Amino acid sequence: MAEIGRVRIKVPSSIKPGDVVRVRVLVIHPMEIVQRRDGKPMDKNYHFINRVAVIYLGTEIAQFETTQSISENPFFSFTFKATEPGPLKVTFLDTHGGTYEGATDIKFS
Amino acid sequence: MDGVTAVTRRTMLRAGALLGLAGLVGPGLGRPLRAQAQGNLSSLGPEESVDATMKRLFGSRPIRDGASLIKMELPLIAENGAVVPISVEIDVPMTPQSYVKSIYIISDKNRRPLNARFSLTPAMGQASIGTNLRLGESTDVRAVAEMSDGTLLMTKREVKVTVGGCGG
Repeated sequence: MAEIGRVRIKVPSSIKPGDVVRVRVLVIHPMEIVQRRDGKPMDKNYHFINRVAVIYLGTEIAQFETTQSISENPFFSFTFKATEPGPLKVTFLDTHGGTYEGATDIKFS
Repeated sequence: MDGVTAVTRRTMLRAGALLGLAGLVGPGLGRPLRAQAQGNLSSLGPEESVDATMKRLFGSRPIRDGASLIKMELPLIAENGAVVPISVEIDVPMTPQSYVKSIYIISDKNRRPLNARFSLTPAMGQASIGTNLRLGESTDVRAVAEMSDGTLLMTKREVKVTVGGCGG
């Protein structure tokens, strides 16, 4: 998958100050599952996302710990309270040391 | 000779500035964000029964029935266990005094029952999250909410899975 780590992030087009805004975010990632041989799990460094951080206005507002029981190309939705215009950033960390970032600017209209 | 010292000093200053910057670049958040290269079997959750998972996560703390507060949306029948959409919403106000601290999603019959843990803060305005799960077979799915005062609420629902998603 050449596109691994591409992040898509979606927020509503019109946001008013004080709104609770729903964000949807998707990252392209294989989320490797445990392989078995003769019923025994193989030991290797499986490639999956194990941590997601949501950062709004420079403050971490949520952190998700994920496992392999989250589907391939993981999707997350969450809400946050839009208090001020500014950047919203979602960072994904995987077990191979990869860091993938999606960001959007929160503007009021 | 003068020139040599000047260059050295400039180099030193530049190196110092770079070091300073490197120190600042780290994310200034509560918990440190580190890329963890840990996907080995030993660092995954152990293969265990759901009872063992519940015990490992919550010990012997009492868990209240939260069916009236937790709204869990999940298909009744999932054709493909590899992608099962779930959304969990907890109907309590998120104030700095009292909020939902974490949401755990646990699938009873997966080899490693804990699917994910969501740690939330009052800045989210609402305790409402969604994701896609992998389920190995038809199973109960539980959502456990941990409040900031330590109260645990739980609800569960069964999902019929037609084709397993080889959940981990």
